[in-house]
Amino acid sequence: MSSDDHGLDKDRLTWILTQMVRIREFEERVKSTFEEHPGAIRGHTHLADGAEASIVGSLAALRDGDQVMATYRCHGYPIGLGSDTKALMAEIYGKSTGICGGFGGSMHFVDVDRGFLGTSGIVGQGIPHATGAAYAAQIRGKGQVVLSFFGDGASKQGAFAESLNIASLWKLPIVFVMENNNYNVVTRSDQEDANAAAGEPLAVKAKAYSMPGVTVDGGDPIEVYGAMRTAVERARSGEGPTLVESKVYRLSAHGNIIAPPGVPLHYPEHEAITVFGNREEYEAALRGDPVPRFRGRLIGEGTLTPEQADEIGTAAKEEMEAAVQFAWESPLPDASEAVNHVYA
Amino acid sequence: MAHELPYIAAINEAIQLEMERDETVLYFGQNIATTDDDPFLTAFGKDRVRVTPISETAEIGMAVGAALAGYRPVVELYMAEFMLVAMDQVVNEAPRFRYMSGGRVKVPLVLKAGYGFTAGWAGQHTGSIYSMFVGVPGLKVVLPSTAADAKGLMATAIRDDNPVCYFHHYLLTLEHGEVPDGEYLVPFGEAAIRRSGTDVTIVAIGWMVDKALAAAESLASEGIEAEVIDPRTLVPLDSKTILESVAKTGRLVVVDQATRFGGASGMIAAEVAELGFDTLKAPIIQVTALDASIPYSEPMERFVLPDEAKIVTAVQQVLGQAPVAA
Amino acid sequence: MALDARAALALLRTMWRIRMFEERVGVLKRADEVYGLIHLSIGAEGVASAVCTQLRADDAVYSGHRAHGHALAKGAPSGRVMAELMGRSDGLCSGLGGSMHLVDVEHGLMGATGVVGGNIPLALGSALAARLRGTDQVAVVFFGDGAVQAGHFNESVNLAALWRLPVILVCENNGMAEFTTRSEHSVIERVSDVVAPYSITRETVDGNDAAAVWEAFARHLAAARGGEGPYLLECLTHRLRGHYEGDPTQYRDALAAEEWRQRDPIGRLTRLAADEGWFGEAQAAAAEADARAEIEAAVQFARASPYPEPALPGALVYAP
Repeated sequence: MSSDDHGLDKDRLTWILTQMVRIREFEERVKSTFEEHPGAIRGHTHLADGAEASIVGSLAALRDGDQVMATYRCHGYPIGLGSDTKALMAEIYGKSTGICGGFGGSMHFVDVDRGFLGTSGIVGQGIPHATGAAYAAQIRGKGQVVLSFFGDGASKQGAFAESLNIASLWKLPIVFVMENNNYNVVTRSDQEDANAAAGEPLAVKAKAYSMPGVTVDGGDPIEVYGAMRTAVERARSGEGPTLVESKVYRLSAHGNIIAPPGVPLHYPEHEAITVFGNREEYEAALRGDPVPRFRGRLIGEGTLTPEQADEIGTAAKEEMEAAVQFAWESPLPDASEAVNHVYA
Repeated sequence: MAHELPYIAAINEAIQLEMERDETVLYFGQNIATTDDDPFLTAFGKDRVRVTPISETAEIGMAVGAALAGYRPVVELYMAEFMLVAMDQVVNEAPRFRYMSGGRVKVPLVLKAGYGFTAGWAGQHTGSIYSMFVGVPGLKVVLPSTAADAKGLMATAIRDDNPVCYFHHYLLTLEHGEVPDGEYLVPFGEAAIRRSGTDVTIVAIGWMVDKALAAAESLASEGIEAEVIDPRTLVPLDSKTILESVAKTGRLVVVDQATRFGGASGMIAAEVAELGFDTLKAPIIQVTALDASIPYSEPMERFVLPDEAKIVTAVQQVLGQAPVAA
Repeated sequence: MALDARAALALLRTMWRIRMFEERVGVLKRADEVYGLIHLSIGAEGVASAVCTQLRADDAVYSGHRAHGHALAKGAPSGRVMAELMGRSDGLCSGLGGSMHLVDVEHGLMGATGVVGGNIPLALGSALAARLRGTDQVAVVFFGDGAVQAGHFNESVNLAALWRLPVILVCENNGMAEFTTRSEHSVIERVSDVVAPYSITRETVDGNDAAAVWEAFARHLAAARGGEGPYLLECLTHRLRGHYEGDPTQYRDALAAEEWRQRDPIGRLTRLAADEGWFGEAQAAAAEADARAEIEAAVQFARASPYPEPALPGALVYAP
């Protein structure tokens, strides 16, 4: 354990690596489904590979009762919060055993019992939802905190501005976590963001709402944890929100291709390569992959032995293999279910 | 027992009673509770009653989030047109969340907005755009036309576990009516027969109910007895009452302050044409606003909107007594 | 670029025209000759005049619901504006729009809107068009402090900054949005601080000091004509009536005479002109009298204008 581990003990550090490895394994299996079981996954999936350190480092700062909302790139959060990965995979496969009964799919996970209140498929529109959940937490007065995860693209949406203003004005117990992966599908951040174009960190936007704005290396779960712990404590103590800009690099393309029925879906290469011809940028990101990086760090510090680290990997592989099997073998919902749940 | 109240006070009474009954009911929006002596603020405190900036997307989105987290927000939006700024939250988020979760969550919230203020408030504040929110599975749409219904429908809306668009007509704001004391709920999906008759069914929406009743009075002096039905809620719609009435009268006129195409009047006409075809003795006639935005100048504004005379003419047409306009 | 005698007199004359117009509209509203939703800009004439008198007819101006002053200052004939408020066929919009929806394309008044901040994105469009055409036209949009919390304001600032559009955002910060004070809308007091993250040129001036507004705007205008932008000019003002006519609070009556004297932009400019030797009492009085006469003529013109043909709206829904 090194001195800058923010007080995280071996168990916590191991937990962090474990969740990161589990998320990676899950996402890899989603991706490989397009090859192994073509047609099993319909529509659009978005993966969190490359963002594991940011996701888990953030979740590590939470306690029971806290809540999380996110975007359509939502697999990682419920995994880290402890949702049943069989049910998550089954949802992506559209099966009746899915966490939402096959009604939502990859973009719309919900697991309220574990604090994951839901997502939005529309960029930026989940930020007001999280703000409302934080308002509810404030009234309830039990010290709950809400994390709102979104991408850099969302920070140009009116919903972002309106929510941060209100959260700051009302001192809501919320932390706004912007995972800045520098891309909005095929658009680079400096093509659409005045701050990015000026070479500024996006955290400067916090100034407009009179809240702290911090930028962290989203590839280092400990650095993320440190910033998030401060932000969560600030929120929990009633002092209001923080904007945390967590810089990540997504290792897959934005999502699988969008194609009409009949065209097989697959994951293309990252937009850095396919659109901008910048293979070097992508390969550098691969070299800095946060999962093996953190594994190596824990081994190097003596927190884990290589064997223990391998065990974590093996367990994750087995878990996600079982998830895929479960999803593959689960039944589809009865078609007539489609008219259920329209109204409460 | 009942007491006389203006329409606007009846709405507030419902909100207040529900907030007293259930501490999870919240009330927020622009321009409310801005002074310490505001009655809602003094009764329920700064947690449950808040003023917001001009941020409709955040207001409605927050209502979704607070509902997911166990509260029941009522959002004061003032004018239906302001909901348009936040269309994604109203149509694509609030009503779809429950469904996409496979029924695991619910989103109880009320979007309270005024409409139809055709008193010179001009093109962007006067629309009767409630039909834009019909045909959105998961969303309910209610339009009270009396003070009593204003109270009863608001109470039901707050208790409903779904997102409800509650549209109150601005020109009815000061209309007095007998309002039952205490807890009073008007169920959704139950139309009200405002006047019984045998010769023609007039289905009228919102402010048009009064116009239809006035038309019915002048028709009565010609020996025509009209049955006037107020659906009260467009989603859910009480088709049964309407069909039963048309089975009795054989003729239908639908009156709506909204425009002809893509509106509630067409929806109702289609229901009856399809399900009550055999009972019809004449084609259905719709009396609606012309397909134009509401103009500012008073004679033009009047021209565009339906009125008592136009309703009377439509009834005469449907009874074969007046030529149908080319 | 400082104010000189000629420009100062033109400024004063415009301010008087707006003042006379708005006071008359208040009277007409109480008599129901003018109706609907009416928002007056009494006390805020300095900003409209200082900005618009420096613009050309081919510069685009957009406004919000409180648009009478901007329209008049930009060159819309007072008779046609009055006729619009009375819903007559000689109104700027043939009686279709009313107070909140004034348009006078000939003079570059591209539109007013009843949705707070709704026109800000449109101004970006005009600025973009000027850029594409390669002209030195600029776009100006007026809005209040309430608009700054709306999502579309923020979206527009980002895009204008990113594309460096020649648009000047003029915020009349009167500390009130409808019926609530700014502190209920934001923790940030100054609108110019809200846009701080975008690194755009921004300035805050006393909106009741017409000369100060004139000088600040002149600088931004010169740069915008050179193709630069965007700019935010925050003008601190006070609203001297309620949000709209019919709003129960009447501030002007409540203000002490001395306070009004301090704030009134017309009085301040008149005193400044005297101090600077630009013009004296006679010309100031003439400005007032000429304005009164002009507005009286505007009212007569409007009253004499017929109501529009009722069938007119149907023909105008779509362009042919």
